[in-house]
Formats: sequence, structure tokens, C-alpha cells
Amino acid sequence: MLLKWLQKIAQWRYPLRPPGAVPEQEFEDKCIRCRKCEEVCPYGSIKMGHAEWGLKMGTPFIYPRDIPCYLCMKCPQVCPTGALEPLTDKRQVKMGVAKIDQTTCLPYSGIICRACYERCPIYREAIILKDELYPVVVPEKCVGCGICENVCPNESPSIIVYSAHQLGG
Amino acid sequence: MTAFEKFIYEHLHTLRRIVQFGTIVFVVLVPIFNKWGYNQVIGTFYSISIGHLEIVDPALVVQSILLTREIHFPLLLAGFIPLLLALFLGKVFCSWVCPFNLLAEWGDRIRKRIRPSLAKEDHLNPRAHHYWLIYGSILSVVAIFGLPLITLISLPGLITGQIADLLFFGTLGFEILFVFLILILEVFFAPRFWCKYACPVGATLALLRTKKTLKIKFEPGKCIYAQTKRLPCQVVCPLQLNPMRIDIYPYCYNCGECVDACRKEGQALNFTLQPLERFIPMDFVEGKKRMID
Repeated sequence: MLLKWLQKIAQWRYPLRPPGAVPEQEFEDKCIRCRKCEEVCPYGSIKMGHAEWGLKMGTPFIYPRDIPCYLCMKCPQVCPTGALEPLTDKRQVKMGVAKIDQTTCLPYSGIICRACYERCPIYREAIILKDELYPVVVPEKCVGCGICENVCPNESPSIIVYSAHQLGG
Repeated sequence: MTAFEKFIYEHLHTLRRIVQFGTIVFVVLVPIFNKWGYNQVIGTFYSISIGHLEIVDPALVVQSILLTREIHFPLLLAGFIPLLLALFLGKVFCSWVCPFNLLAEWGDRIRKRIRPSLAKEDHLNPRAHHYWLIYGSILSVVAIFGLPLITLISLPGLITGQIADLLFFGTLGFEILFVFLILILEVFFAPRFWCKYACPVGATLALLRTKKTLKIKFEPGKCIYAQTKRLPCQVVCPLQLNPMRIDIYPYCYNCGECVDACRKEGQALNFTLQPLERFIPMDFVEGKKRMID
């Protein structure tokens, strides 16, 4: 039980913000917690933070291992305050960047797996296959939607999206 | 008086309750329909859009300008609709729509039973500058410390937001306890203090007032009472105001309970959009008292 809690704490990462989100400090000021993005999201990806987030309570988060963002680009359109910039092109999104842990990633230890490569919405651009075998993330193209993290077959995912909205910045 | 006006006056209390319960049904249905994939109406009482019509709580527009120090034009536009409504009808959002007001009215009913001694006895209304001082200090906290304070303490938004979260993901935040904290304080210590003094949402709606804004008009000649006790209009007022005096604004939120109570008594209280021709003397109440003595 305690071990599980510790594991959870060790694995905690800052969740993603919805597509089009302005930098964190500005986002906190602009977001009025109206829940429109939550309500309009057809996949249930966007969840609101509650009192445990302190001043950030009521702001939208995406936990990609639960449900990633499928880049339908509905939420930036409904945001009334400009906390989410009204992007329409999914390639302009920058929610974070995926990183592959080569020590646990299956192809790097000899098991063929293309789960993330095939599901990536920026297909064959954000994740490319080196030597037709090893997935490699192209940080400039990666939008940080988290689909790769969601589909990784390892129990603790070998590909992880690090949020562009960290605590400080 | 037209037939329409007569209908409204005769069913004032019932109509208000219908609108209030309709609001509860509405805020429950909106997340449910969105979950089913119908996105025509989205949002909560922080901000709601009906089709292409965007509406944002003007208090949050003020907060947004103070926090970001820039003006986002679509936001400004969306904040004008509630302000326009308030310009014509006063703070009717608070009395007819806000879900917290409904809770607080029930709370006050309990308060009347268990702590009737908290009722005000002096027939006076609080001075307007208390109201603006509290609102001003909330705005200063927002501007100086950069806290989104109005979002955090906006009770209509908080309640409807939690309803949306609950229906969408089955989760409730601890912040909902804030609503119960306010209710408990109101029942046991300070009746209706939140809506009357503290709420920044209501205060923003009270900012714009003209002489033609909907108001309560009192005609002393029609009043059948001698001021020897608390009159029906004062007893029913949810905010413990004295509607016979002209200084009930910006506190009064035009719920019409006093008008409703006076229908059976002498019809001295009515709504009007016209500017009041003359000020009803501030010492009318005391004057009537003297006449009896």
C-alpha cells in the first residue's frame, strides 16, 4: 500500500493543458474556470482540477495515460477568454514533448512494437522509425497530445509526454 | 396596467420560484446534453454560450482586465449582455436565477425557525458605501496580489461548475464545502450576508444604474399600516431591507417579495421603470410613528 503510494508520487508528472493553452502563468490569469472545454470535449480527455490544486482549482488538465487528447480542436474554439488560443491546425499545437525511455522501450530490447509510431496523429513526422525498427521522437514536430503515452503496452509507459506547462514556467 | 403586467404582479412569487427551479434543471441538463454530444449550449454561470451567443459573467471580465492588464475584445463583448440586463432590470440575476440565492433563501427559512433573534429591528437600510468598500477591496486583492479571487468565490459559478464536474466525471472538489460554510455562517450568525454585502458577482451587476432602471416605488398614501411593528414587506424581504425607504439600492435585488406581500395589504409597493418624481422623505417611517403618538 505504502509502496504503491510512493510509486505514485515518484511517477507524478505535471499534467498537460488542452491544445492552444497560453503559458502557465498567463493561463492561470486568463482561465475563468467556465468548464466549456470540459463539456465540449467528445472524448472526456479534459478534467478539471479541484481544491487540491489550490489557486489552480477549476482549470482544465489532460492526463494522457487515462485519456489523451485526440486533437479534434473543439476546445480552443469555445474558450471565451483566450486562455486557449483559437487554433484550428493540429500541427500548431504544443502541449508538451514526448520522450522515449530506451532502457524499457520494447524495440530497443529486441521486441518488435510499433504502438506509438502507428497511432501518432502527426504520422511519420513526429515519431519516425530509425532503421525501420526503433521509434525516435522528433521534438520539433511532436505536439504532445499523449496518444503515444496512452497506447504504450508497457505497464509504466516507456514514452512519456512532458508538459509544456511546468510548475514554474 | 396591462393584462401582462397584472399577470406578473399576481404571480410574482410563483413565477420567481419557477424561474429558480428552471435554472437548476437547466444547469443539470447542460452537462448531460453535452455528454451526449449536443454542444449547442455549453458552459456554466462563469460563462455560457447558447448557439453563437457568448455570455460571460461581467465580474470575471473585470477580473480578467485587472489580472492580465489587457483587453480581450470578444470577452468584453460577452460581458455586456448581463450588464445590459442589469441596466434595465437591476440585479435580477441574483434574485431570479442564481442557484446560491435559492439555497440561501431556504437556509434563511431554517434560520427564522431556529434563530429568529437574528432579525433586524431598526427599520433602516445599510449605507451604500459599505457595499462598494467590500467590492473595492475584493478588486484590490485581485489587482495587487494577482489572485483570481472572483472566480474562486463566485458562488453561482462554483455551484454550477461542480454540478458539471459531477455529471461529467462523477467527481466533486472540496471547494464545494465553501458553499456550505457560507450557508452555515448565514444560518447561525449573519443572515444573508453573502448576497447582501460580499458577492462580487452581484456587485458588478449593480455598477450600472440609471434613473430608469427597474426599482421599487413606495406610495406612502396607500400604506395601510402605522409603523408600530415590522411590516409585512419588511418581514418578507429576503435581505432584511426596508423597501419603504428609497435607499434600498444597491442592496435590493428586485426579487419582488415585498411587492407580492403588499398586493394583499394596500398595493403601496410597485415596480416601476420611471424615475421617481420625488424622494420619499428618509424620515417617513419616523414621521408616521410620530403621527400615531
